[in-house]
Amino acid sequence: MTAARYLRAFIPDADVVLLERNPTFWSGPMSNKWLIDIVDTDFVHHDMLGAAGKYGYTLINTTVNAIERDTKTVHTTHGSIDYDYLILSGGIRNAYDAWFGGDRNAAEYTRMNYPNAYEPNAEMLALKRKLKEFKGGTMVMNLPPPPHRCPPSPYERACLMAWHIKRNKIPGKIIILDPKPKIAPIGEGYKAAFEELYPDVITYVPNATIREVDPFNKQIKTAAGDFAFDDAVLMPPHQASDMVWYADLIATGPDGKPTGWADIHPRLFTARADEDVYVLGDSMGTISDQFGHYPKSAHVAHAVAKIAARNIAERVAGKEVVPVLPDNLCYMMVNANPQEEISVVFEYTLDPTGKVLQTQIDMDVRTNDLVAKDFEWIKSRFNDFL
Amino acid sequence: MIFSKNENFPLAQRRQLLEGAALGLGLALLPTAVRAQLASPTPLKPASAAEVQAIIDGFLQGAQPIEKGLELEMPVLGDNPAAVPVKAKVALPITPESYCEELIILAEGNPRPLACRFSFTPLAGTAEVAIRLRLIESQNIRALARMNDGRVLMTHRHITVTAGGCGM
Amino acid sequence: MSTPRIWISNDSPEVGEVVRVRALIEHRMETGLRPGTDGKVVPRNIVNEFEARLDGELLFTWQPETAVSRNPYIEFTFIASNASELQMKWGDDAGNIITGSKTLSVK
Repeated sequence: MTAARYLRAFIPDADVVLLERNPTFWSGPMSNKWLIDIVDTDFVHHDMLGAAGKYGYTLINTTVNAIERDTKTVHTTHGSIDYDYLILSGGIRNAYDAWFGGDRNAAEYTRMNYPNAYEPNAEMLALKRKLKEFKGGTMVMNLPPPPHRCPPSPYERACLMAWHIKRNKIPGKIIILDPKPKIAPIGEGYKAAFEELYPDVITYVPNATIREVDPFNKQIKTAAGDFAFDDAVLMPPHQASDMVWYADLIATGPDGKPTGWADIHPRLFTARADEDVYVLGDSMGTISDQFGHYPKSAHVAHAVAKIAARNIAERVAGKEVVPVLPDNLCYMMVNANPQEEISVVFEYTLDPTGKVLQTQIDMDVRTNDLVAKDFEWIKSRFNDFL
Repeated sequence: MIFSKNENFPLAQRRQLLEGAALGLGLALLPTAVRAQLASPTPLKPASAAEVQAIIDGFLQGAQPIEKGLELEMPVLGDNPAAVPVKAKVALPITPESYCEELIILAEGNPRPLACRFSFTPLAGTAEVAIRLRLIESQNIRALARMNDGRVLMTHRHITVTAGGCGM
Repeated sequence: MSTPRIWISNDSPEVGEVVRVRALIEHRMETGLRPGTDGKVVPRNIVNEFEARLDGELLFTWQPETAVSRNPYIEFTFIASNASELQMKWGDDAGNIITGSKTLSVK
């Protein structure tokens, strides 16, 4: 939506069409706060038609099911459309096949009963209902292996779910199964929150790479032990959205296998195989061997959308394309009463060879005054594309 | 999200398309030289062992360091070299009569190895501090603490740093 | 530079209780080792002094050097007395001062 707006702004004669399979916009940011009613549904759930009208682009609610780059045609469930430039910003998909192979039954059962709401859709409502209905017992939450969408957010979700459990005196426990060796990012801030605010609710288990998930018998086996659960938030590995696969733009790893993420020029965000296709946001592949992927955050997606829109405008006008680096930051609420947040800031620079370097600074002293900054941040993003 | 130049999509309202500029797009190829936004630092070199020793000797002032009573807590692996958490704590009892006066922390592999200095008063009643350091490479972190009776406690630990963070 | 982020383990401690404090300010901590966009070295400007006081009485001072990370973080403990306010002050090479405090209600 950000790219659509800015393309229209920078190239007034352009015909900009946004193909979106979701009928409405659900914000990932603030959704954990919404789970425990710190913000209401109108805050995180938005109409897209108004924005399309306001910014002058065409919005079509349809699902892309094939992309033919040689003829520059996109096929959807409602018809086909051709393009001069194509931007793919479909985010992530859940790779349930990593757990269940071809067993669609197990995948659908897991999605229905243990939704993770990392693809923005009705799973948000299902997850909130699950939390409200949780009467006690062991709730397991596993993290996908990195890279995944919004790296600090599962820990925020655990904190706020734990707060709900504590506040309502629910006899429940949350076990966080993390394949990583320690909490990251903002590890010290989260560790302090888990130990100081929720010692009786949250158990954090590192090095818990998933071996087997049995949603039917409510069992999960990991490298750090086997766990039975009463309820769960199950997160399979993330990959680039379907469209990137349809467009045959997934990178191949050194092992010859698909990495699961788009193969892109690290400064220009164009597909290496096709410079008329941009892949923006979470679907992007590696940027630098110093840090791998840009964190898959809304802040980065929003930043690169504007950069890419500007670059396309430069190309259309026959001007020099000026690559611009994004920045990144995330605010995370770890306590709901008093409301306290931690945050992390990333800066990107170039080394003399043009490689992108990342500096990460964790701001992990939890304080109430970060809450206002968080709300300022989200409002400024919403105002930019809604 | 796309530009379009033909009429075959039944549901959309087509707008007047770009003129010649749009068709001349093939000329705007990727630049051969990417303009750098900001030069990064030239590689930084660790201080010499002599420089590190001079700082240690300057603190010891001839005292024999005691390798007990001072604790240094850090992760073994620092996945974010820009902010490695380091905690130093004097484990001996702190009383108004026996307290820590001064504590320094060294990052022996950094270009400027003296990372910081603390001066405590008896009012604090404790000598426990935690900070975050930026380290240019894997190295030894050393802490020295002088008690008010002149005893100097010392300890060190090695930390391996990798790049990383949350992008992976 | 900004208002300090301050967390305290207990703002109504008993006398003699160990109180833990974490404080963080936003500061570039420019090392003086880095070239800027014009190719010239950006001059050093780091937080070079910090002090913590209880009702004006000094607890300790801290002199960070260039190895201390950007947005300098400090965590420390102290023994609660009858004092009613914890005061903290940061100063940098350029002469800027930032202060922060926490009111204590001692039992």
